[in-house]
Amino acid sequence: MKPRFLVYFWYLRHTEGDYVNFTVDQIRAIMDKKANIRNMSVIAHVDHGKSTLTDSLVSKAGIIAGARAGETRFTDTRKDEQERCITIKSTAISLFYELSENDMAFIKQGINGSGFLINLIDSPGHVDFSSEVTAALRVTDGALVVVDCVSGVCVQTETVLRQAIAERIKPVLMMNKMDRALLELQLEPERLYQTFQRIIESVNVIISTYGEEDGGPMGNIFIDPVIGTVGFGSGLHGWAFTLKQFAEMFISRYAAKGNTTMTSEERCKKVEDMMKKLWGDRFFDPETNKFHKTANGPKGKLSRTFVHLILEPIYKMFDAIMHFKKEEAASMLEKLDIKLDSEDKEKEGKPLLKAVMRRWLPAGEALLQMITIHLPSPVTAQKYRCELLYEGPGDDEAAMGIKNCDSSAPLMMYISKMVPTTDKGRFYAFGRVFSGTVSTGLKVRIMGPNFTPGKKEDLYTKQIQRTILMMGRYVEPIEDVPCGNIVGLVGVDQFLVKTGTITTYEQAHNMRVMKFSVSPVVRVAVEAKNPSDLPKLVEGLKRLAKSDPMVQCIIEESGEHIVAGAGELHLEICLKDLEEDHACIPLKKSDPVVSYRETVSEESNQMCLSKSPNKHNRLFMKARPFPEGLAEDIEKGDVTARQELKLRARYLVDKYEWDATDARKIWCFGPDGTGPNLLVDVTKGVQYLNEIKDSVVAGFQWASKEGVLCEENMRAIRYDVHDVSLHTDAIHRGGGQIIPTARRALYACQLTAEPRLMEPVYLVEVQCPESVVGGIYGVLNRRRGHVFEECHVMGTPIFVVKAYLPVNESFGFTADLRSNTGGQAFPQCVFDHWQVMPGDPKDGSSKPFTIVTDIRKRKGIKEGIPALDHFLDKM
Amino acid sequence: MTDAFSSNSEAVLQRGVDVTSRRDTPSEDIEEQYQIRKTCDFINHNGFQKVALQFPDEVLVDSVPIAIELERHTSAKLFILGDTSYGSCCVDEVAAEHVGADCIVHYGRTCLSPTTRLPLLYVFQRRPVDLEKCAAAFRDLYPDTQSHVVVLYDVNYAHIIDDLQALLAPDYPNMVTSTLLLDHCHGNREQPSEGPEDPSESDREDGCRVVRQFGRRLVLKAGLGLQDYAVYFIGPEGAALRNFMMTWNRCLFSTFQPSTATGCAESLSVNRALMKRYYSIERAKDAAVVGILVGTLGVADYLAIIQQLKETIRRAGKKSYMFAMGKLNVAKLANFLEIDVFVLIACPENSLLDSSDFYKPVVTPFEMEVACNHNREWSNDYVTDFRSLLPGGQSHVALANEQEAGEETDVSLITGALRKQGLSCEEAAVPSTEPSSLVLRNQSLTVANTNSAAGFLAGRSWQGLERKLGETPVVKAVEGRRGIAIAYEGEGKSS
Repeated sequence: MKPRFLVYFWYLRHTEGDYVNFTVDQIRAIMDKKANIRNMSVIAHVDHGKSTLTDSLVSKAGIIAGARAGETRFTDTRKDEQERCITIKSTAISLFYELSENDMAFIKQGINGSGFLINLIDSPGHVDFSSEVTAALRVTDGALVVVDCVSGVCVQTETVLRQAIAERIKPVLMMNKMDRALLELQLEPERLYQTFQRIIESVNVIISTYGEEDGGPMGNIFIDPVIGTVGFGSGLHGWAFTLKQFAEMFISRYAAKGNTTMTSEERCKKVEDMMKKLWGDRFFDPETNKFHKTANGPKGKLSRTFVHLILEPIYKMFDAIMHFKKEEAASMLEKLDIKLDSEDKEKEGKPLLKAVMRRWLPAGEALLQMITIHLPSPVTAQKYRCELLYEGPGDDEAAMGIKNCDSSAPLMMYISKMVPTTDKGRFYAFGRVFSGTVSTGLKVRIMGPNFTPGKKEDLYTKQIQRTILMMGRYVEPIEDVPCGNIVGLVGVDQFLVKTGTITTYEQAHNMRVMKFSVSPVVRVAVEAKNPSDLPKLVEGLKRLAKSDPMVQCIIEESGEHIVAGAGELHLEICLKDLEEDHACIPLKKSDPVVSYRETVSEESNQMCLSKSPNKHNRLFMKARPFPEGLAEDIEKGDVTARQELKLRARYLVDKYEWDATDARKIWCFGPDGTGPNLLVDVTKGVQYLNEIKDSVVAGFQWASKEGVLCEENMRAIRYDVHDVSLHTDAIHRGGGQIIPTARRALYACQLTAEPRLMEPVYLVEVQCPESVVGGIYGVLNRRRGHVFEECHVMGTPIFVVKAYLPVNESFGFTADLRSNTGGQAFPQCVFDHWQVMPGDPKDGSSKPFTIVTDIRKRKGIKEGIPALDHFLDKM
Repeated sequence: MTDAFSSNSEAVLQRGVDVTSRRDTPSEDIEEQYQIRKTCDFINHNGFQKVALQFPDEVLVDSVPIAIELERHTSAKLFILGDTSYGSCCVDEVAAEHVGADCIVHYGRTCLSPTTRLPLLYVFQRRPVDLEKCAAAFRDLYPDTQSHVVVLYDVNYAHIIDDLQALLAPDYPNMVTSTLLLDHCHGNREQPSEGPEDPSESDREDGCRVVRQFGRRLVLKAGLGLQDYAVYFIGPEGAALRNFMMTWNRCLFSTFQPSTATGCAESLSVNRALMKRYYSIERAKDAAVVGILVGTLGVADYLAIIQQLKETIRRAGKKSYMFAMGKLNVAKLANFLEIDVFVLIACPENSLLDSSDFYKPVVTPFEMEVACNHNREWSNDYVTDFRSLLPGGQSHVALANEQEAGEETDVSLITGALRKQGLSCEEAAVPSTEPSSLVLRNQSLTVANTNSAAGFLAGRSWQGLERKLGETPVVKAVEGRRGIAIAYEGEGKSS
């Protein structure tokens, strides 16, 4: 088991071995120095060593509020997290770090003194918990991206990095697990350099793919070792460095030789120049102590500076200690001026190596410097993040408060998640103050995601009972907290479900809701073992809905209680929480099932006519499938219902070759007014059409929510209203006549347009040794999966297999894969897309037919897809 | 010219009604089936002058022979009432009052809901049933002679019940047969009708428990509750059976179908049906605007329940509107887009409406109370009879206190959004009867938005006449199609 602990306390180790405690008042004082705050999250693929790395940071600079310093209880965390060795919930930790006079010169943004408050959020790496990452990203401005230098950039690295970029979060990179590269793989220094280079390139490719042009308002956000935004090291061994550390070493060596009176600015300039020489195609001639731009020196090949000046000493140190070359080691220690404790001197082999490396290149020091120097402060970040964060006009009081990070402006705070308290059923609202100051007893407006300015829906005006500092589940009351900081609130949980905006500004709009990279496609029906426990189950479901950023708890029309999550693991954790913490009753759980979507594959083969119940009105409609990519565009938010009409029309015409007039006459999106189906008016000169629009739209929302095949949502269908004939008397064309008729007409359209079923598909990434690749193919084939990429990770025996796997076939996939590969393959599944299932659901022998039948049975609907003549009328 | 606005009146006359028409009952059976003598005695004995005969649609074919037969034996003036405004199982007192009738004779199936205004005689059309087979099926289903079984039956089969009892009682000592409660409607106004104040479950002195439900009465053995009994139901599957199954959802049901003369254990999962109703309750909790559908004008206490519902809904912070629209259909209800959920007040058998085809769900008063009243919890007891929800009724629950209910919130399990429960403080301060003509206006809120109906109108894309002045080019009138949409002139005749 890898060492795992989540720190619930703030403790300060100001200098090695010297604990300094902070009182709440002292912490509060640092909070006011907004330019010296860094809010950052640690993000990575699962098992790339985030939490271990975080631990080394915490041991360097964690803070604890004075009174609690003695009672460090590291064990008090989620039991399942320890058992499974994965992080499930993101945890916030605060660090205090003081930069030296010399290092301050490196900071390119405003600063206020040398002390820095770093709010760090350690987030889960498993794809199923991506929503936790999303919630963490929202409240932070920078991200430490951790990549295992052996496995390289993985699927989840890409997912979270993409999200970070989209939220305008500035990344820095940590190349982790160098110890493995040296000890296990025994890579040549030059090969290791190439590996690093490749990883940096692929990270930059992701940044440029998903980032704005030229970095947008954030400026250049590409990572580059030369600037110092890439760290190298081993979280497990507790050592790390950036080029800055080595550059400084060389500079001080030269400085010691020559003049010693350098100002910190001059020194900074020199170090920065030196760093440029330490990466890339720069070569070092040890004879002359000169740098060259080509490998061809006067006396044969030169080695790269990075290799020669940085990797070689590290390799030598490893070699000396691991091969028990005592004299060599001792001389190196002396040369590098590393002084060991008497305790460490006794050690041999790996433990000694750890102790030495920790002394030489302490991870905390290097990373904290990288974080404080290169990540933005709230003052810097909120300037460019405001337009993404705030839905309202860019020049109202709230927006100005956010942009200027002004603690005297009106309060604007975003609640990104709910954290359960020890008090059952109650939650702390966890979030970030973007503008103004939040304080105990303040009367605020609490606005949920459905709030619209000027309306009362989803709006509550309440007093904040208490503001608290939050360290995981440990809390400390605090009088008030100014903007730029992360804080917990007591007493607002009842008025929010998962997220929301808290403000004191009456005209405030909402802060934009978070977009998740995963969707809840796996679902389980739960019921209480004892039917009389139903109220408890319902209560528990409501609590569960709050406690997880993404889980959906719903009642289906059949009365089944459904819990929907991102994947099997996510659901498993949710159900466990539900059973043990939220409902506290024994549960019966169904096997996991997936949700499907209904779509069409052709244009309707006839004009569909439906007549209203009074036979006085007729609707003529047709259905056709979307062009490829449009449904995804709608889900991504590139095409939305709220978009400006002309803009949207142009987009559709340009990208999907829609007819220009049609593109301007989209009546609505559905289901829920935002979904990936469209109702388009293609009529010409119909009287009273506007009058029935609301009714047809209502029918469309109804139908697109419950398709004709098995009452699943529709997807990627475009419905055209071709003609309408209406009764001249308004009373005979009211909603009652039109709504059911529109629904029938839409169903008829769907049935005549070769209806199909869509199923969700996972992108699976499996890492394994070459020997078991065959086993993976076998398992995937049996489960209707197909491999689309297989590649060898350079310099390692590892293979990466990427495949598409229907979510429906993914249950038990992990276990199956392990047993077929001797436990050597670990998959990561992330929802990727919807895929049309081959086969006509109306054909009794096809797979979609079986699925439709099963769903209809489960939902308690009449067996068999209704016949067309139910919906289609004759002239 | 009238054709421009409505369909041809001829069409209405020619339109087929969706009723399984039977052939006329032979005249010799009429006396037997429709109990002519008993009816005549009832009329003559009470000296009624104007008598309303209420027939369900499927018995209407026999109405004329019956009326003729009755007229021969009495001096009263007879009126035939057809096409009831609500369910034909209920007594249509309003229609009878149109002709100023002294009493009503109700033919056919009935839900036995108590009425208030007029003296009443039920004539159950006696349906033939094979007594032997019925008893045999019973023995098949309950091989254990000590089984505790309640025998229920559709009113059409009441005539055989004494014979069945005689046939089975010797072997089955623990069998209980139900009797129909008809006393209250036998035309005697002075006799106190079974009001809601009568407990429908009471313990007699000898320890036996008397259960009254849906116009039936049964006496259970001492020390036993209903859940200890199985139920044997004689009659076709229908509203009456469903009603009992939902209410007594802890009992095992089996049925005897007289038409096929077979018995079978009822496999219809009541639990499932109950869960579906539970979903409707969740919808009702989500609703901001509730439509109260008056689905009966005959069942006693319907005004009291409307009043109670209005108050319950108001206290829950929802708005209510009342609708009287006779028989319900999809098109009628869909005309009211702003209503989020309907609550139907009707006799127990008509209350359980399957609303899956409706645009908005239709719930029962009990379900509405579960949704709105904090004190009422969803449990195993399901109530279809709204009368037991009234003060004094067996399942009456007091309204939650306004103070304790105020401003509570809850997560909807349908939309996942937050919903308010109870009145907010300012709403509670203004009693519903007082017109809120003055509302404080703040800077961002417009007054109109405080009203849900106005808010709905504001959300519509079409809000009334669009004059479009100057936007419509002037064109010469052209000749359009003639006729109406059902089939314009010159179109295919195949509709």
